[in-house]
Amino acid sequence: MPDIKVTPLGAGQDVGRSCILVSIGGKNIMLDCGMHMGYNDDRRFPDFSYVTQNGRLTEFLDCVIISHFHLDHCGALPYMSEMVGYDGPIYMTHPTKAICPILLEDFRKITVDKKGETNFFTSQMIKDCMKKVVPLNLHQTVQVDEELEIKAYYAGHVLGAAMFQIKVGSESVVYTGDYNMTPDRHLGAAWIDKCRPDILISESTYATTIRDSKRCRERDFLKKVHETVERGGKVLIPVFALGRAQELCILLETFWERMNLKAPIYFSTGLTEKANHYYKLFITWTNQKIRKTFVQRNMFEFKHIKAFDRSYADNPGPMVVFATPGMLHAGQSLQIFKKWAGNEKNMLIMPGYCVQGTVGHKILNGQKKLEMEGRATVITGTLDVKLQVEYMSFSAHADAIGIMQLIRMAEPRNMLLVHGEAKKMEFLKDKIEQEVFVRCISCYMPANGETTTVVTNPSVPVDISLNLLKREMALGGPLPDAKRPRTMHGTLIMKDNSLRLVSPEQALKELGLSEHQLRFTCRVQLHDPHSDTDTLGRIYTHLKSVLKSYSIQHVPDGTVIVESIVIKVTSSAEEPNLKVILLSWSYQDEELGSFLSTLLKKGLPS
Amino acid sequence: MDISSDESDDWFIESLNTYKDLHVFQLEHPTKVIEWTGDKNICVAGYTGSRSEILELLLPLKLYAGENQGLCAERDFKVQHGGFSEEPIESLIHISGTRCVVTSGSSSSTLQIWDIGGDDSDVIKRTGVINLKSTSVKGCKIAPGLTDEPAVLHGSCISEVQLTEIATGRVLYTVAKESSDSVSGLQFVNACVFLICASDGTLFMGDTRDPSTCHYPLEDSKSGLHWAFGLRSDSSQSEPSGCTVARLSSSGHMLLSDLRNLQSPFCQTQLNVQHDASKNDFLNVSWAPVLDRCLSVSGKKCSSPQPVFSHRGHEMSDEAKYSGSPPVVTTHSWHQSRPKTLLSAATDGSLHVWDWVDKITDR
Repeated sequence: MPDIKVTPLGAGQDVGRSCILVSIGGKNIMLDCGMHMGYNDDRRFPDFSYVTQNGRLTEFLDCVIISHFHLDHCGALPYMSEMVGYDGPIYMTHPTKAICPILLEDFRKITVDKKGETNFFTSQMIKDCMKKVVPLNLHQTVQVDEELEIKAYYAGHVLGAAMFQIKVGSESVVYTGDYNMTPDRHLGAAWIDKCRPDILISESTYATTIRDSKRCRERDFLKKVHETVERGGKVLIPVFALGRAQELCILLETFWERMNLKAPIYFSTGLTEKANHYYKLFITWTNQKIRKTFVQRNMFEFKHIKAFDRSYADNPGPMVVFATPGMLHAGQSLQIFKKWAGNEKNMLIMPGYCVQGTVGHKILNGQKKLEMEGRATVITGTLDVKLQVEYMSFSAHADAIGIMQLIRMAEPRNMLLVHGEAKKMEFLKDKIEQEVFVRCISCYMPANGETTTVVTNPSVPVDISLNLLKREMALGGPLPDAKRPRTMHGTLIMKDNSLRLVSPEQALKELGLSEHQLRFTCRVQLHDPHSDTDTLGRIYTHLKSVLKSYSIQHVPDGTVIVESIVIKVTSSAEEPNLKVILLSWSYQDEELGSFLSTLLKKGLPS
Repeated sequence: MDISSDESDDWFIESLNTYKDLHVFQLEHPTKVIEWTGDKNICVAGYTGSRSEILELLLPLKLYAGENQGLCAERDFKVQHGGFSEEPIESLIHISGTRCVVTSGSSSSTLQIWDIGGDDSDVIKRTGVINLKSTSVKGCKIAPGLTDEPAVLHGSCISEVQLTEIATGRVLYTVAKESSDSVSGLQFVNACVFLICASDGTLFMGDTRDPSTCHYPLEDSKSGLHWAFGLRSDSSQSEPSGCTVARLSSSGHMLLSDLRNLQSPFCQTQLNVQHDASKNDFLNVSWAPVLDRCLSVSGKKCSSPQPVFSHRGHEMSDEAKYSGSPPVVTTHSWHQSRPKTLLSAATDGSLHVWDWVDKITDR
């Protein structure tokens, strides 16, 4: 039976890294190649031994697809392509291609420079890896080879994030990566057409949550910033150049305007140009509102938000500063942090996840004393963390309701949820399987390393000859219906890559064969005192009364014909009363012929 | 949030000062029940559509993080258990000390008994039914028994109120009162004493040790009104003396009575409410479990007297902006230990958790 195999790679049940292998129509595809941020040893990499025990992956994989630039989806890519070995194509969207290397390099710096790791990819490896990337646009069908095609759909979530449809012949799989179904201030919501994939693969980390509204998260953010500024404190918000920073800036600008606040808001130098550059480049990836704004003015020309100069950090009074990098592991945000950490009036707002080993990660785990190094001008020794710390999650993910919405959009035949605990998701599984509008067959929840095999029911398109079609229609009966299949008689010719259904005569002609006709003959003996002609006449009358729905002919040359059945009567000169009825019929009328011979064996009515 | 001053934006900005915590959720289907099943868990259930979901939700952990609230980013509800019901659910009660809930559906001839489930599965399973003598569009009113052996007090009209043991289906007690008045609410005061409030405001008090029931009709009963009731008992006492009953009519008439003297209410007041005869379904009055002498009312728009606090979150939501009619709060519930935390649900599927700021005391 044709099937599709899906295996999430990884060790144990741990969430936190995406890397899924799909085997479809003889092709092998790797979906995402994430790093597990919680481990320091080899467990952070996906377990590639599933693909092959030793050696390079190139000949075992037809392509690799990366859904977006978050490290738990692309963090292990350079390791896979350069250290394990893969030279085939790596597909991702344009923004992902532009942003991935930046994040990977940042990550590499933290891991190697800060933590002193050795078994890690180098800067050159990142560059070499990116050379293998083939960027693609939304809704553009890309032929990986003659049989395998892929297409990207908008996923929301972060700039450049996409959901992917993978198609071989009439079988297809859709992989969502991370997505969200509600638009936010700078990105739209995920969208897909009714593509009816055989399997829809979705992350289910948030499948059993009901998300607090974006408004309430924003409210909390504004409340905390406002409270700090009101009491004369300073707010530090470490951000990555793209993503949340824009959202939060727009939010603060509107709030400041509304409340007529005077405290200065600063945006770290370098951040503005970089962010502007990327947004301009990928403007089609943002939502309608942003695009409209961009047409009118520069993204970062805010009334209340100005460029930061490092000397401002020493200014007295309240202020808000957005600075990079996002995890407080180096650079400007860390410098500012060191200056402000000792004052309890100040606040640090962390808008996202921090990798282990960074100052951000330590603080979010409640650490109040940090060992610091630095130049003479900067505070050295132990740093007391007295400022208020707020961890706010702004990331956009689909929750339980979002997943149902996507299912109704795509109408998959089967659903596969990764990264959830099976026993904690039986309710969701029931809900999906009972979804009336979609008639989704089954919902699977494989553990990491476990292969799910989904049997597909592919439809095979066949061209039918017009003659054959006309002939079938002439037979009458109901019109063909998707729900009521009708059997028909024909010959299937598979030649080159085409499938054709033609009449048997046509097929024989094409093959240069002549049709053989099979006829059966049978002799029935009968005692009848009449002449041969009269006996035949009596047979004719008898058949007419029995076979009421058939047309029976009595031909003057001495035969009775029903369909293809020919009946003759002969007798020998020695025994004129012993009649021999000769019946002959073609293969197609076997049933009727047998019936008639049995009938006549019983004799004729007087 | 646009720069244009929308009423809902004003409310949003105001909320920075008026609420300590505010969480807004959108359920797939609206609920008219919020029932506590644990310190941090509630059950909600759908009432629109023939097939309804029952969900047990874990409240956002941020609410419980105390001093470490800043470091906790968990703002979401977690669906811990879920199940399907073949009927829309009008009432849902939890039997304390167990994982059992009982539901009553609209126009149903049975009460459904469910096991919410433990750690090994997230499916809420039906474990049995209790047969009812009659059906009611509003569903049978139910209340948990307070004895060791799980039981449920139920009835849609006074004469049919009975106490049924859940495990066996045995009828433990029947109200011997010939009255076809429909029940608006019922509740046990302690293990044996219970109160029933009829739709016309009449109170009935009974004791499972005593076959007779006393009834206390209103002095000045007007027809066409619907009454809701809320009980506050001083849980430290086993005697019913420390119990106050609040009754609220659909025209805004509020009566407070002490259990020792149900005939004469000790306090009366008139709330100025929108009188809409068709919308009495969601009239709800309850006592704050921690705050002293504090009552909450939902399901009706009230303009005076000035309340200590008014939660306008449901009508000010983004969804409400675009729909034709403003959502109506279907039910609300106080947090069991946090003094000023409430949960409220509305007809548009919204579910809010909020902690209000008392301008006078919280500065």
